[in-house]
Amino acid sequence: MAPEPNEDDGRWQEAGDHATSETIPTDAIIRGTDVVKEYETGGQIVRALKGVDFGIAPADFVAVVGPSGSGKSTLLNLLGLLDVATSGDVRLRGRDVSTFTDRERTRKRKETIGFVFQSFYLIPTLTALENVEMPRMLDRTPTKTRQRARQLLERVGLGDRLDHYPDELSGGQKQRVAIARSLINDPDIVLADEPTGNLDRDTGDRILELFDELRRDENVAVVTVTHDDYVAEAADRVVTLIDGRIRETESRRANFEEGPDP
Amino acid sequence: MNPLRWLVGRFPTLALARRNLSRATLRSALAITAVVIGVVAIGAIGTGGEAFKQDQLEAYEGFGGTATVEPDVQFEDGNLTNTELSDGDIDRIRQAAGSATVLPVHEPAGSFVQTQSGTLLFRARVKGLENPGEFYEARNGTMPDNWRRTIVIGARIADQNDLEPGDRLRVNVTDEFDRSFEIAAVLKPQGFSAPLGADRTVFVPASEFESGGYEQAIVRVDTTTGSVDAATQAIEREFNAREQLVRVEQVQEQREQFTEFFGTVNQFLIGVGAISLLVAAVTIANTMLMAAIERESEIGVLRAYGYPKRAVVSLLVAESTILGVVGAAIGAPLALGIGMAINQLLLGDPFAFTAAGLRYVGIGVGFGVVTALVAGLYPAWKAANKRPVEALD
Repeated sequence: MAPEPNEDDGRWQEAGDHATSETIPTDAIIRGTDVVKEYETGGQIVRALKGVDFGIAPADFVAVVGPSGSGKSTLLNLLGLLDVATSGDVRLRGRDVSTFTDRERTRKRKETIGFVFQSFYLIPTLTALENVEMPRMLDRTPTKTRQRARQLLERVGLGDRLDHYPDELSGGQKQRVAIARSLINDPDIVLADEPTGNLDRDTGDRILELFDELRRDENVAVVTVTHDDYVAEAADRVVTLIDGRIRETESRRANFEEGPDP
Repeated sequence: MNPLRWLVGRFPTLALARRNLSRATLRSALAITAVVIGVVAIGAIGTGGEAFKQDQLEAYEGFGGTATVEPDVQFEDGNLTNTELSDGDIDRIRQAAGSATVLPVHEPAGSFVQTQSGTLLFRARVKGLENPGEFYEARNGTMPDNWRRTIVIGARIADQNDLEPGDRLRVNVTDEFDRSFEIAAVLKPQGFSAPLGADRTVFVPASEFESGGYEQAIVRVDTTTGSVDAATQAIEREFNAREQLVRVEQVQEQREQFTEFFGTVNQFLIGVGAISLLVAAVTIANTMLMAAIERESEIGVLRAYGYPKRAVVSLLVAESTILGVVGAAIGAPLALGIGMAINQLLLGDPFAFTAAGLRYVGIGVGFGVVTALVAGLYPAWKAANKRPVEALD
């Protein structure tokens, strides 16, 4: 039975040390075994993932690298409960996700996952603050949501940009709004697709520092798909996908806390 | 917390929907315009039709105590018989009807009317009366007392041909006379329900006719002192005891026929108005489909962030419904304004709305909103069922 989210911050309360030197963490929030994903395009079946194993533990920082078409986005979609595997076993806190209805998947996604999309996908008619509030706008707790959104924006250093619209923000600022938005539901995992792809090095640095802080302070795991070696270097683990298979898993740091101070 | 903020917190879907609409202002405005046209069409046709009906019914009111008597024409051995009422018949009608005014009418079969410049007045009818002043009032000129050498004409003939008292018309009646008359008076408009179709008639003095027979007689009872029913029955008894010689018809009956006929026409017109709302529905569905396609990835983001399908449907349906509500909110006052103009024109009082007329505005508003809501359903359903993965690609 999965533990219930804590009312205050919605975070899964995990006991014990999650530092592990194994490739697949044992206390994984989400775990996949021999996962295969096939698509049908133009009458042809394309096998995007050909039997991969994965697991994401609390406060993990995993970088998924690989050439385009290697199945990175497919893997991210499975982790984000946006898609279901064709075969193999994907479990969220021990529960088989293939048994979820669309409605359950949607709810679990809301409770567990935060997304940072490559092109941000901020809603142009909403201010920075409202964009951050967006995932919780239907929750009818406007005061609480607003408080949390404000706090998150201050945290990503945009306390002075609350009422700016996306077209009044720079790329890095939009990215930080997107990150703040991904945290509004107090997720266990943040999935970031090319989080530094559109940013200069300095801004990218700040985003990575922010990820470290969030892992340390909020116990959030970060999984990122990247082409950027520099992002991969900052990760605990680097998973290399080639042609739908994991070729290499490299553990750089057993735990970010043991890594060099930022 | 300020009230606006409270509202947004309370109805976040509506707030989001409104902002989404403001993104494509022109497109939203066009969709709203389509609804406005539909609502105005239904509302204005409805109220206008009701005003027209009121106007016609008022005209009937003036003839409330009126009946027409016509010979019951028979067709025997290739000949028409019993085509006229004689002077004797008129006397019998007068006696039977008691205190009623009886107005014998010549209604010749072959006649034409020409202006002095030779233009034929095709639609004018010629009727002979003894004393039009008993029945009609003049709008222009004065009704002649001792009527001999002049004519009086209906309002519509005067208006359509720019005629006024003092002008002359040539009137030709087959086998009777062919001469020019001066117009003494133009009658007040009577409405098309008037027993003699007065608005389109040229009245000439009965003395111009040499034949003694009349094609029709109008019986008018002062309803404060007598009853048109009693007069009708008396005339029926006098003439039709053994065989049917005359047909007596009360204007009241014609009024009922008119109401029925008018109801059908009005329903048809409302149907035409409803078609314009159907067009509005197509416009809105198109607008919403475009919006759904344009915002595919944004809707994908909502879904990814845990918005259930239902929330996406609600959002898009809220958008289309707002288009309908705004359209109806603009359309209703416009329809009422047009209704007021028609009321002023026909009834002389801008606020002479009937409950039925106002109901049409309500129906227009209701249909406008519901149409918009329904039109939004399919695009919303389509957008909500798009898998977020596809939407985000």
